[in-house]
Amino acid sequence: MKKTPYKRKPGDFEIRILKNGKVVMVAPDETLVEIAQQVNPKHGATHNKTEIKENVRSKKGQAE
Amino acid sequence: MDYQAHRETFERTKLAKEVLANCNLCPRQCGVNRTTGEKGYCGLDDTVRCFREMLYCGEENELNPSHQIHFAGCNLRCEFCVVSEWNEKPTAAEKIDFDKMVKRIQDRQSQGARTLNFLGGEPAVNLHGILELLGRIKPEIKVVWNSNMYYNDIIDKLTTGLIDVYLADFKCGNNKCAEGMLSASDYMEIVKENILKAAKHADVIIRHVIMPGHSRCCLKPIFEWVVDKLPDVKLSLRDNYVPPVQVVSASAGYLTQKEMQNAVGLAESMGLNLIK
Repeated sequence: MKKTPYKRKPGDFEIRILKNGKVVMVAPDETLVEIAQQVNPKHGATHNKTEIKENVRSKKGQAE
Repeated sequence: MDYQAHRETFERTKLAKEVLANCNLCPRQCGVNRTTGEKGYCGLDDTVRCFREMLYCGEENELNPSHQIHFAGCNLRCEFCVVSEWNEKPTAAEKIDFDKMVKRIQDRQSQGARTLNFLGGEPAVNLHGILELLGRIKPEIKVVWNSNMYYNDIIDKLTTGLIDVYLADFKCGNNKCAEGMLSASDYMEIVKENILKAAKHADVIIRHVIMPGHSRCCLKPIFEWVVDKLPDVKLSLRDNYVPPVQVVSASAGYLTQKEMQNAVGLAESMGLNLIK
């Protein structure tokens, strides 16, 4: 194992598992956010599909 | 977006491109000629590069779902930056194909995006590309400028009327911390001035990522300034600080629930307009 920590390169993703069991995704892209949503649908900062669907509905309503 | 400003985007884009020949978009004042391929502090020539675009619900509630377009390149070097790899090597990101990006913006709108969110990196150092994009989209789209606010006056002038919400990332509450963690010793004066200017012509949300151990030196002075200068402005406190792997000046730990509660309590006791 290297003594110095790995430095992220463009295109890398970083997921940290903390001592308390919390999982931290560092700057996730859309796919990672969707995975987090599947794992924990109540997670606050994840991709909320219900909210998106509601907004699509309201936009369609405005257009009509 | 203001319709008159939207009609001026072609002219504004031209002006922004002219500035690149002796780049002074930000206080780094590099003076390089980005149009001939020279690169200054931000590491960008005159190409516009995007490393990520996505529909996201983790912004402030009133902005969600937000179509984020992440531009590569930044004029700060925040030790705790979570996308530092793209800011150190912005040319590793793909050049924007404007036609495709416009189509993407339309698609994201139909997928439910409530806002179009320019972030990075830092949008200010990509001004010409953003103006060009804005000129090609419908002015009805609500646009968010998600920025470190560390830029020169020309940014405010050329974005006035085009931006609906300035999402101002107010990171530090004093220049000593800013010098250590952001490599910007003149940070406070510039950011405060730009937030005040933005508040004159658009909505402003001040966002502060709470830094563990920086309550007295950063959080409190920011709160005091907001109370004094912009008491009604929306303030968003974020608990998503991620410590860098190798710490020099930044906090090494994650924010605790107690620190978050204390910050919210202080904001409430000072009468700040907290939003989620």
